Amino acid sequence: MNSAVTTPRGTGTRNTRILGVLTIALMGILAFCGLVASGEDINQGSTVRIMYVHVPSIWVAYLAFGMTAICSGIYLSGRNRSLIWDRFSGAAGEIGVLFVAVSLVTGSLWGRLTWGTYWVWDARLTSTAFLFITYIGYLAVRRLGGTHRQRARRSAVLALLAILEIPLVHFSVNVWRTLHQKASVADPNAKVALDGLMLFSLFLGLIAFTMLFAWLVIHRQRSLALEDAVSNRGLDAAIEARREEAAN
Amino acid sequence: MDLTPRTAGESGTGAKKKRNWLPIAFIVVALLSGGVVVTKFLTSAIDYYCNVDEVGVRSGCNGDRRIRVQGIVKQHSVKSVDGSTEFDMTYNAKTIHVVYQGDPGGIFQECIPVVAHGRVISNTFESDRIEVKHSNQYVEKNKGRLAEANKEAAACSASAG
Repeated sequence: MNSAVTTPRGTGTRNTRILGVLTIALMGILAFCGLVASGEDINQGSTVRIMYVHVPSIWVAYLAFGMTAICSGIYLSGRNRSLIWDRFSGAAGEIGVLFVAVSLVTGSLWGRLTWGTYWVWDARLTSTAFLFITYIGYLAVRRLGGTHRQRARRSAVLALLAILEIPLVHFSVNVWRTLHQKASVADPNAKVALDGLMLFSLFLGLIAFTMLFAWLVIHRQRSLALEDAVSNRGLDAAIEARREEAAN
Repeated sequence: MDLTPRTAGESGTGAKKKRNWLPIAFIVVALLSGGVVVTKFLTSAIDYYCNVDEVGVRSGCNGDRRIRVQGIVKQHSVKSVDGSTEFDMTYNAKTIHVVYQGDPGGIFQECIPVVAHGRVISNTFESDRIEVKHSNQYVEKNKGRLAEANKEAAACSASAG
């Protein structure tokens, strides 16, 4: 149980503070581009501005779950099986769930304004809901108890299975008939279907949200390391108390 | 130093390890929700709609039961009659007349793809729900509006066949 957990005094460093300030600045530029500089859509009007949050949110969720799977794979395949990979995996999983939730809420609002309904059971929405539930299950499995290594092993296996849902979600609009639109940018067979400043705002959103993800995942990984350290100290204290009890 | 395992009932050692039920509850809820979602996927989501030209032709698209039909709202066909909205919906050169009780609202308009929920009664699609299916094309409103409108109208006429 005596894992190589370091105990930093906080979760912030000079580099993360710089990253945080840059993220806030980019979010400000995104807000300006998305709300002021970019125009309304010819059919959807101002509703289109939801896209600058909705698409980056699901992008960050894909990125987070991809990171969860990669870190889990590294943990399972590594010789020393450092728990830092497990903590990165858990941190990315938590942030991924948060951003899927943001994507579902913003998508639901967008749907109400364009489709005329908050929710339909088409393949894209259904598979995204399933993805959300799967990763809530993943986070629950991480908290089942046991040693850190037991937690790391069982959640890593689940993460490697859960990542298979991402292609199902992404390509659902191409494989099945859905009310949800097909991809405007991330479809290799389609031309980019957004006017200039709309496309710029969308890419700005992707970069800003990716930086926010990086900032969040670094801090969350460090706070998980602190939690592990606290739990290890509790265990060390319990062993010490047991030794003293046995000696008396 | 005696570090042998304790037996139950030994002084100060009989307390059972408290199980954390919250994650287990979350896992049960996640499994149940997953089951509901998979059921919905198998019953509803695989193909969300039938196209107009498939009504009465394709398996699962029989108009005598409740279905969802997708097509493009035909140009100059939208009329309001006694509180209901009537229009023609076309796809692959096939047309179906739709009667919707109420005003579809939202961004419903001519030349836009919609999904109508309802059933076929006497060659008319009686609908109680309309969903607008926006495309993946995004065009700024103030940029070449007239040219875009003309292009859309031409495309709409072509798709109406």
